[in-house]
Amino acid sequence: MKIRNIAVGLVFSVFAVTSLASSGLAGRPAPDFALKSSSGENLRLSEYRGDVVMINFWATWCGPCRQEMPLLDELYSRYQRVGFSLLGVNIDDDSRRAMDMISELGVSFPVLFDTRKEVSRLYEVDAMPVTVIVDREGNVRHVHQGYKPGYEQKYLDEIRSLLRE
Amino acid sequence: MTNKLLISLIAGVVLVLGSSAIAQDAAPMDAEKMLAGSMQAEAAAAASRGEFRQLDQDVQSLKKEVLDLNRDLFLLEEELLFPANSQVAFFISMDVGEYFDLDSVSLKIDGKEVANYLYTEREAGALLRGGVHRVHMANLKTGNHELVAIFTGAGPHTRDYRRGATMNFSKGIGAKYLELEITDRVQKQQPEFVIKEWE
Repeated sequence: MKIRNIAVGLVFSVFAVTSLASSGLAGRPAPDFALKSSSGENLRLSEYRGDVVMINFWATWCGPCRQEMPLLDELYSRYQRVGFSLLGVNIDDDSRRAMDMISELGVSFPVLFDTRKEVSRLYEVDAMPVTVIVDREGNVRHVHQGYKPGYEQKYLDEIRSLLRE
Repeated sequence: MTNKLLISLIAGVVLVLGSSAIAQDAAPMDAEKMLAGSMQAEAAAAASRGEFRQLDQDVQSLKKEVLDLNRDLFLLEEELLFPANSQVAFFISMDVGEYFDLDSVSLKIDGKEVANYLYTEREAGALLRGGVHRVHMANLKTGNHELVAIFTGAGPHTRDYRRGATMNFSKGIGAKYLELEITDRVQKQQPEFVIKEWE
């Protein structure tokens, strides 16, 4: 009986997680935004139309973000040539800390600063990190909340399938 | 005994010849069937190709209808949200731009921030090539209003530059269009920010 209850609980939690991952934005056009980037230039999402774009919301105080970012950078360096773009959106109040962390981790993808939190509100970010994958048409296709080791394989599969479309 | 052997040999030869004759008769029959079969398959493939083409055309026309509908809805939404009589639109334009590299524009109407737009390199380039950008659209009551526009960017010698321009304007009946123009002032080697009304 106990085992049955645990199994039912597990099934429900799996449903909860999958519905969370697919809730809200998935399937809708990705809201457009423009932010200042670490290189000093302003970047606008709609200018990446035609590319598969991954938007990764992160913060310096978030441990899993620190784990995830070098792995995302690997994906970026590997698939950048075939139409994949990665925009890291930092939500810290002070962008200097983010700059320090970028140089410490040595990531090469563009990082944007959402100090006013307007973009994170637009993307209903209520966990850290949040990774949104946008297809070539500009529609949100996948939303991942949080990060656990192994998620990078999921990202890889999704990116590859979207690049093939 | 030898007679029996001979008879059985002849019977064997007759049987073999007979069966080969039957096989020769059957061969043309098979070829005809195969030909008919391949023709049928070709016809089916052509029909399916035609169906696909038709389906593709249907999808294209449906896509066009959806786009038209989307455009109509957008226009309807604009008409409802911004009725022509109370509408005020603000445009940004740039002339020459040697002394100013535009980064962002922030608009305040009657002390309230209504728009804050960051320009990417491409957008700033488009403005330099003569493009005009509608940065904001609002509905305002008739009467006097104050517009404050703050421009940030890189000024002469790529130094950070932040300048404001203020204008008091009167909103009457009918739509109003205001243009915020960035021009170069050659004598002072400085950019100039001018707000003007479209007649």
